[in-house]
Amino acid sequence: MIGFAGLSHLGIVTSTAIASKGFDVIAYDGRPGVAEALASGQLPILEPGLPELLSSSQSRMTFTSDPAALAQADLIYLSLDVATDADNGSDLSALQQVIDDVVPHAKRGAVLVVLSQVPPGFTRRLATKFVALLDEKGIVLYGQVETLIFGAAVERATKPERYIVGSSQPAAELAPVFAKVLGAFGCPVLVMRYESAELAKISINVFLAASLSATNTMAELCEGVGADWSEIAPTLRLDRRIGPHAYLVPGLGIAGGNIERDLVTMKSLAAEFGAEDCVPRAFIDHSRSRRDWALRQLHRQVLSRHPGALIAVWGLAYKVNTKSVKNSPTLALLDGLPGVAVQLYDPSATLGPGYPTATQVASPLAACQGAHALVIMTAWDEFANIPLASVTAALAAPVVIDPAGSWRARAVTAASLQYSTLGRPPGAI
Amino acid sequence: MLNHTLNPPTAPRRVVVLGGSGFVGSRLVARLQAVGVDTLALSSKDIDLAAPEAVSALARVVRNDDALVFASCLTPEKGGDPRTFMRNLSMAEHVGLFVESHGCAHVVYIGSDAIFKDDVTLVTEDSEQQPSALYGLAHVAREKMITYACGKAGTPLAILRPCAIYGDGDTHNSYGPNRFLTSARADGKITLFGGGEETRDHIFVNDLCAVIEASLSSRSIGTLNVATGRALSFAQVADSVAAAMGTPVQIVPTARKNPVTHRHFDTAAVIKAFPSLAFRSLDEGLRSYVTQPA
Repeated sequence: MIGFAGLSHLGIVTSTAIASKGFDVIAYDGRPGVAEALASGQLPILEPGLPELLSSSQSRMTFTSDPAALAQADLIYLSLDVATDADNGSDLSALQQVIDDVVPHAKRGAVLVVLSQVPPGFTRRLATKFVALLDEKGIVLYGQVETLIFGAAVERATKPERYIVGSSQPAAELAPVFAKVLGAFGCPVLVMRYESAELAKISINVFLAASLSATNTMAELCEGVGADWSEIAPTLRLDRRIGPHAYLVPGLGIAGGNIERDLVTMKSLAAEFGAEDCVPRAFIDHSRSRRDWALRQLHRQVLSRHPGALIAVWGLAYKVNTKSVKNSPTLALLDGLPGVAVQLYDPSATLGPGYPTATQVASPLAACQGAHALVIMTAWDEFANIPLASVTAALAAPVVIDPAGSWRARAVTAASLQYSTLGRPPGAI
Repeated sequence: MLNHTLNPPTAPRRVVVLGGSGFVGSRLVARLQAVGVDTLALSSKDIDLAAPEAVSALARVVRNDDALVFASCLTPEKGGDPRTFMRNLSMAEHVGLFVESHGCAHVVYIGSDAIFKDDVTLVTEDSEQQPSALYGLAHVAREKMITYACGKAGTPLAILRPCAIYGDGDTHNSYGPNRFLTSARADGKITLFGGGEETRDHIFVNDLCAVIEASLSSRSIGTLNVATGRALSFAQVADSVAAAMGTPVQIVPTARKNPVTHRHFDTAAVIKAFPSLAFRSLDEGLRSYVTQPA
């Protein structure tokens, strides 16, 4: 029996993926209503393929709000996503509470695995905190790095590239039940000391941030120099030092929260240990600057000429195939448009309160109706194929600002639209 | 960034402009009076802000429901030496003491982008402050002094840091539109440092005054760099001046003595603070007041 404590995005996806491999799963969350909703098949998150995976695995899954139920588990994943504050700093308080509630119930000989996104040192401190209990019950504690991606989490959970495991004894064999679970997925398992695994997680995100920041910086230079980033990116993909899967699509900075969280952690660690912190600072500062690209374009092309303009916005979620708006560039754009009338469409995410002049509408073309500009903020698939003539007919002025690159490959100039996207000069074909 | 404490915006009862006869101050006074705002312009002839008596002098004329625009400053052509620096600090000291002891409804401090480190090429409100000249250092200190005073008094404070300013009647003769126009009018020639490769942002004085007026009406608090977001090379500036004059002007490059430096402004904060304000391009600004050679 495999247990999960904490059923946010990480716990829901991972527990379902493990159940799909034939393991019996007992999944706990003490927050009111969470276990009940999942038990009835209601998912609080959007992930392609997850409803189907849950449906096919549900017979092996038990959801509970009672931490004592985890006493039946041979292995317990501590799987609550670590929340971040407004400055992208980690808030470990909820995870600490889950740990305090759950660990005392672990049975003799159980395996505990910290799957949550914890900073270096966390797992060893946990081992120290519960050393008496762990020794008395012969419980083994591991850390495991999660590498899910919002919008592609089921793929990442069911077909992992590798597992990264932190252990107090990296040279020793993994506990049999843990080895069996990991082995079911058929990928390499890298075992290392706790701190290395914890820092591996950060290292992955820092390298991704490096790629994103370099791409965004070069795209910005393309806009000034007169180059087109989409012509340059393939040259990098064919360089084996960079590779075909490198993050080379320009965007509005680094969004979503996870990479930003790890950059903040990296900055804190650099300060704590006296290392140079200019690298994470540069990534964070550049992301902040790039985030306002759409606002600057909108002001330059529309708002400075039509103060009472109506703006259409497509896309609210911070990326496609998710309903998460955490650190959404669209919310940053709306924050920069106080008093400006906005008609907003998103197929999944919902606009919360605090934006009195923004109206969420039912379709992309409804958003365009009478607008003086269209801003495409998230590259949902449906946006790419909306007929240009329909958009032109709905808009009051032919201005399209497309940081999402949704229309990058389209013959936009054929529709006589004033088109701007990242990585090429405004108006360039 | 700038936050607004008055919504909807409401013109202050009265605005007192320190430096009211200066290039920016006089434009601001004229603008406010044109829209019916009661305005009191004070210059060094009225009150010597560098003298200790300034505190009581201000107390006699500034009411506690006035908005106060602190635009008075000795600019570099009046002296870049330590004595001028100390006079600039003394002004801030006395204005600060006045605010602490008597208070007013709102203070808007007109600073400068001279506070930023020379090699910062994309300037934001958080850019590193490390001025290379005493003028910039004076503004760094004055910002802190007036912030301290307003903090003690609980007075809302907006700090506005304009980039280079140009417009009709500017006497500062800084390298850029103003000096180019003066020399083009005088001898039909504009002399560039090197080939005029450096890029800088220039804001039309009327547009700066629009930002000040909007800050007053919104009783804004915080810090804002005020620039257009469009930096041009000095060669382009020279071309624009020549075009505005409409008569032949010789643009003369010279041997370069210093490395080329650039400065651009990230104007996201200005856009967010005042989304409906539009800043004239250099060509538009020059055309509004340049007709024929004087």
